Amino acid sequence: MRILDQLAMAFMNLWRRKLRAVLTVLGMVIGTASIVVMISLGIGINEAQIKNFEQFGSLTMIEVSSWKYTETRDGMGTSTETELNDKSVEAFRKIPGVKAVMPRIETWGFIKSGQYVTDVSILGVDLDVAEEFGFELSDGRLPNPHTGKNYEIVFAGHVMNNFYNPKTGKQAMDPMTGISKVTLDRSRFQLTFDSSNIYDNGGFMGKPMPMPVGGGYSEDPSQPQPKGKFYKVTPVGTMSEGNNYSWYSLMDINALKKLAKENKNIMNLDTEKYYQVMVKCNDIDDVAAVKKQIDDMGYGTYSLQDALEMAKKSSQQLQLLLGAIGGVALLVAAIGIMNTMMMSIYERTKEIGIIKVLGCRMGNIATLFLTEAAYIGFFGGAIGLGISYGLSALLNGFLMAGSGMMSVIPAYLAVFAVVFSVGVALVSGMYPAVKAMRLSALSAIRSE
Amino acid sequence: MADERNSYIVNVRDVKKVYRVGTVNINALNGVDLAVKAGEICCVVGRSGSGKSTLLNVMAGLEAPTSGEIVIAKQHVEKMTQSELIRFRQKHVGFIFQSFNLMPYYTALENVALPLSFRGVPKEKREKRAREILKAVGLGTHLNHKPMQMSGGQQQRVGIARALVSDPEIVFADEPTGNLDSKTSDEVMNMMCGIARDQGRTLILVTHDPKMAAYTDRVINLLDGKVTDERQIEQRVLQEAGA
Repeated sequence: MRILDQLAMAFMNLWRRKLRAVLTVLGMVIGTASIVVMISLGIGINEAQIKNFEQFGSLTMIEVSSWKYTETRDGMGTSTETELNDKSVEAFRKIPGVKAVMPRIETWGFIKSGQYVTDVSILGVDLDVAEEFGFELSDGRLPNPHTGKNYEIVFAGHVMNNFYNPKTGKQAMDPMTGISKVTLDRSRFQLTFDSSNIYDNGGFMGKPMPMPVGGGYSEDPSQPQPKGKFYKVTPVGTMSEGNNYSWYSLMDINALKKLAKENKNIMNLDTEKYYQVMVKCNDIDDVAAVKKQIDDMGYGTYSLQDALEMAKKSSQQLQLLLGAIGGVALLVAAIGIMNTMMMSIYERTKEIGIIKVLGCRMGNIATLFLTEAAYIGFFGGAIGLGISYGLSALLNGFLMAGSGMMSVIPAYLAVFAVVFSVGVALVSGMYPAVKAMRLSALSAIRSE
Repeated sequence: MADERNSYIVNVRDVKKVYRVGTVNINALNGVDLAVKAGEICCVVGRSGSGKSTLLNVMAGLEAPTSGEIVIAKQHVEKMTQSELIRFRQKHVGFIFQSFNLMPYYTALENVALPLSFRGVPKEKREKRAREILKAVGLGTHLNHKPMQMSGGQQQRVGIARALVSDPEIVFADEPTGNLDSKTSDEVMNMMCGIARDQGRTLILVTHDPKMAAYTDRVINLLDGKVTDERQIEQRVLQEAGA
């Protein structure tokens, strides 16, 4: 029998009982739509989660710290320290899957411009690998290593707005007009790490001393120390707002180390040991292996993936639950198909006998019934998918707007839905098809 | 003897068929011997319960005999599996039913073309063949009628056309006039035997109506699962009956 003839014949057989066919397809439509919408919600939650996490930084990043926390049996834990230094940085670089490594050195200091001052948190960056760690500038460029007289710096976005006069407490920026007396192109900037350079010992004529936002510390006047130096700095760029590093101003890592050495007594920043090292992997899939290897070296590691994994695990359970709810409807639909096909066989016993007498092969008979089932699955799946798109749009548009939930139907889910419903239909059609195939040709002869 | 047997297209030897009803065995066929030559039109006559339908079913491979040999077109039917039987019927056998057994939702043309579609004949080709044969049975004007729109006689003509469409060597007919009035029966028998004779086909029909025997070449009487009497019918008698 030709395939086209079989398809046409199966369709005819189905169409002869229009209402029953439509009702069975409807069952499949509901089954498919429910499972697709449920899964789409699960995928939506998952995607929202990933997006959410990406706001906090890159998923390919691992933060390594010298302290490792090991949980013991009784629920308590111990922390052990392994020194993080240039050697360990070098070792990290050699791990396969690692794209870039950067020790994290940060400190804070004061920027002075004329009579105005602000405090800054400064992060040291390695220009060679900085790009990998996603420092986003709103304009300008990253700071170059220190060569000439001046140090290059990239200001955090808020720095220019925060200049004030420590003696009068007056802001450099006029709050009404937004025009500041300190501007990037006309003002000169100096950096110091010594707060006594900014706030005169003992404050100022008995008036309370304005404290910098970052919190300063007062020196004990009984132990006078050599005053910290001022360094000329040239702003070369501005950080963009709203990402992981927006709070920081950037300087070249070696320049910062040099300054730290010169201001050892004030800054208390150890340039030989690092508190934290950032490791960037080539791919999300490398993260677990790299993390494990660093972990085994005795360091504490943290990546956003840890949190993401946990979140994924809990959302996976939710997805399973959603899928199961949808699956019940599909199961009912599958039983419906089986019922329809069985009914149809009982009705057509004589007819099946006749076509057997007329020379319709056993395989063809089975195929005819399977094709009928596949039609139900296909139409049910396709229409159900169409309805799912509608429902998904409806959910996203009206019901869940702003709730953070969304329904996403990726292409693979669409294809899967149709293929799966055809598959389910074929499985439910299997038993009826075999039964039809085995019916005796003799039944054609017996008169009703 | 052996040579003689080979010239027969149907060769039934000592076929028995036993049905078990509850604890009682019923011998539907009790050692039937039958040989039919190619091109012969023969008629198996018997009362209800004589086993004539069983004989037909066994010969067409719809039922397996309990014992005995059935050789049709040089093939042992009793040894075939179900799917072999279907292929065998597809090639060699046409079947005419008492209750016509047309597909109610197909037109006359589609009904007649149906056996060819099982053989994988393309649509144009099989409908062309079906049209020819429907014209031959006198239904050239009813090609697109559905069975419900036709009389019993017309429906049986469609049934006959369907049995002949695949060019079978042998045609079995099970009470072909059983559902028709006597006038229509005569017309149908005339037409059916006429075409079979013209085309040189072997036709074996089963009937309880002894009058039908007049159209055939040979009558086989069956009683209690045994052949009791056989006689040749002269063409002269046939012509008289037709006249």
